[in-house]
Amino acid sequence: MPGTILENLSGRKLSVLVVILLSAQLACFLIGLLSPSPATSQGILSTVCVDDNPDADNINRWFTKQCKEIHLNQEKATVGLDAKNLVFVVQMPRHDILDFSRWQQNLVGVLQIDVVYQVEQKLDPIIELTLDARLAYSDKTSTGGRTPWQYYAHAEEKRYMDCSFEDTTIKDKNGYPYNCSMVPLFELGAISHDYYLLNLRLPYNYTVQKNTGLGRIEDVYLHVIHMNGGFTKIWISLKTFFFPIIIAIMVWFWNRVHILNRTPALLEYMLMGLGGTLAFLNLPVEYLTLIFDMPYMLLLSDIRQGIFYAMLLSFWLVFAGEHMLIQDNGERNTLKMYWKHLSTIVIGCLCLLIFDLCERGVQLLNPFYSIWVTPIGTNLALSFIILAGISASLYFIFLCYMIWRVFKNMSIKRSILPSMSQARRLHYEGIIYRFNFLMLVTVVCAALTVVSFILSQVAEGQNKWDENMDLELTSALHTGVYGMWNVYICAMLILYAPSHKQWSADPICAEGEEVEFSRLPTEASPNEISSLTSFASKASIE
Amino acid sequence: MLSIALLPTLFVPGCRETAFIYAITSAAVTHAIARACSEGTIDTCNCETHYRGRPQVFSNGNNAAVANVRDFEWGGCSDNIGFGFDVSREFVDTGERGKTLREKMNLHNNEAGRWHVQSQMRQECKCHGMSGSCTVKTCWMRLPSFRVIGDLLKDRYDGASHVTASNTGHNRNANKAHSNRLPKNPKLNAIMSNSIHAKRENRRKQHKYGFQLKPFNPEHKPPGVKDLVYYEMSPGFCEKNPKLGIQGTHGRQCNDTSIGVDGCDIMCCGRGYRTQEVTVVERCNCTFHWCCEVKCDICRTKKTVHTCV
Repeated sequence: MPGTILENLSGRKLSVLVVILLSAQLACFLIGLLSPSPATSQGILSTVCVDDNPDADNINRWFTKQCKEIHLNQEKATVGLDAKNLVFVVQMPRHDILDFSRWQQNLVGVLQIDVVYQVEQKLDPIIELTLDARLAYSDKTSTGGRTPWQYYAHAEEKRYMDCSFEDTTIKDKNGYPYNCSMVPLFELGAISHDYYLLNLRLPYNYTVQKNTGLGRIEDVYLHVIHMNGGFTKIWISLKTFFFPIIIAIMVWFWNRVHILNRTPALLEYMLMGLGGTLAFLNLPVEYLTLIFDMPYMLLLSDIRQGIFYAMLLSFWLVFAGEHMLIQDNGERNTLKMYWKHLSTIVIGCLCLLIFDLCERGVQLLNPFYSIWVTPIGTNLALSFIILAGISASLYFIFLCYMIWRVFKNMSIKRSILPSMSQARRLHYEGIIYRFNFLMLVTVVCAALTVVSFILSQVAEGQNKWDENMDLELTSALHTGVYGMWNVYICAMLILYAPSHKQWSADPICAEGEEVEFSRLPTEASPNEISSLTSFASKASIE
Repeated sequence: MLSIALLPTLFVPGCRETAFIYAITSAAVTHAIARACSEGTIDTCNCETHYRGRPQVFSNGNNAAVANVRDFEWGGCSDNIGFGFDVSREFVDTGERGKTLREKMNLHNNEAGRWHVQSQMRQECKCHGMSGSCTVKTCWMRLPSFRVIGDLLKDRYDGASHVTASNTGHNRNANKAHSNRLPKNPKLNAIMSNSIHAKRENRRKQHKYGFQLKPFNPEHKPPGVKDLVYYEMSPGFCEKNPKLGIQGTHGRQCNDTSIGVDGCDIMCCGRGYRTQEVTVVERCNCTFHWCCEVKCDICRTKKTVHTCV
């Protein structure tokens, strides 16, 4: 009966494979060092324009930086003006000579509103803002000019801003700044135009309580965050590199399974599924964003990652389960056996999917939308996230329990190993060793992912002013982790592919020793994936 | 290019007040440039950073604008606040060679001004990874309000360090520090097209120009980067001195309960003060509503005013 390559591969070949995979991993990390940070932000100070005709009902009336400008810190300039007269204008990107490129993928806008203390004015700690925001776009023309501003999106949205006044020692607080939190404004899933223009109004209306809690604003900044073209390029090249490899390995794997003239085992299906989702994740659809306007890319990439993670988690569960002898004497294992465990993954992922659709799905229609601004939305979002969290913890309890049982079974097997003959014992010890090795790899991969996540948080979070950082660690960590999971799944597919070596040709059998597997009832059913499992079931029967 | 010397150095003593002026000027330049940058009004403060590993497509280097656009596409634009520091260092520190004590004092105080801008910057972050999680996080620095910086510098002025000329081996260090600096009299454009090395060197010397000033009182600690330093005593501010631009304190309002410099005892230099009761018309009970309306009552209050003789 054939086993998997993992057990039949010689130590030398295995080490060659490991070296190849590790160098691929190292290359992924190193290529990340060449890349700039994944995203950059650009703080843009808004120009305050006076709208002399605020009631005009023309959606294509745009204010640009060349307008009737005033400065809010000069009190005289604002006398007689109304809130609807003021338009905060932000042109993106900041400088006229620059323009956005499609490589920059997506655009996130965050508002920073600098509120200053005004005589005897009391601000609530949480201010409700009403923002009338309009976005327009423009493109470069072939002659070097620009097309006129075209309407892109418009919405009146509510946001909340926390403001506090820190220094209480100042005697005359007039003009001192409040410490206010950032206000997320918009998310564009695709940068398909060269220039964007934001016209922001903060309408005041006492009867419907619009912006009544707002203090004196001195400056409004918009921080726009976009992906870096360099990072996207390197990211896509990684995907383009891994995509054909994973497809080739999957084809090879499936051929191997088919050569055997048996129905594939559950674990083989899982491996194919895992390979498939990875291929889907690797599929470089980002190339299409360079040609087409695909604002749903953010949502799509979330979904692709989600499917991949769901598959990976399911695979671990089934992998542990298949090595745990919960099958009844070699009956065909199906996913149904794992429904309890898998439902945690399904529920968790569905929750996140619904949450994502509510946030990023709606943002396709209205880029200014955020689920977090209304109390109902916040509760809904939180409940989905909490539900997902509960499912995740249930999953991990299941997984840990299964792994614990696998290891318990293994230690039982180990105890009966000395009663076996020398050759077979060595063979089984090798299998257990390699199985443990792979378990270890999984744990190491997971741990490395967590560590690199923490590291990237630290690297991004630290004050870069005193640092002399030449290397962009964050990108390297991202590409490193991405490459790691690719390498991990490639290794899984290769090592768990059925071996073409026949046991009859094996020296163990040639020595005329009793082939334990032949006595097993499982021998007739060809679904056993590895001889370790056969061995384990045999032991449990005994 | 102009030096910081708004007031000719020759006539202004190296006193506390001068230290404050230098510090707040360099802080103001840093602040204003960074602000103007984020407004987009300065064209030179866009992507001057050349990224390592970026394909060198513009090796001819003729077309700076093209290079800028490509840099922007590859790695975004660098922080405008950094540009503010660089310009301040080049612009305000020009002409101060750091050889004499006065020049060292000026450099130190300029640096202290910039240090306060930097120390007040706050970091803000935004998570924008998968489903808005923090798998990808981008952070930036937020420029502080200049009022806050001014207050801090005023505190430093009150606690400024008195330093003295030191006599051992500092010239060498000073020279070394300056050999790393950019060429004198650069035009702003030239700074930006300069190589990354110059920038890096500057970054490394961010806090120090490579000399250490000695405290006047040897038992005191040497001044740190954030301290203002002076080496001459302030001239008397009591009497009018047009040569030094001192107005004198005759006729100044003072506070009879304060024991600080605004108190009548100190401010009037012992000449005594007049006390008057006046009716003041003030705005009170103000209400503000966005954007531009402040409604106040007019209140008449009686106040006691003290004026120096």
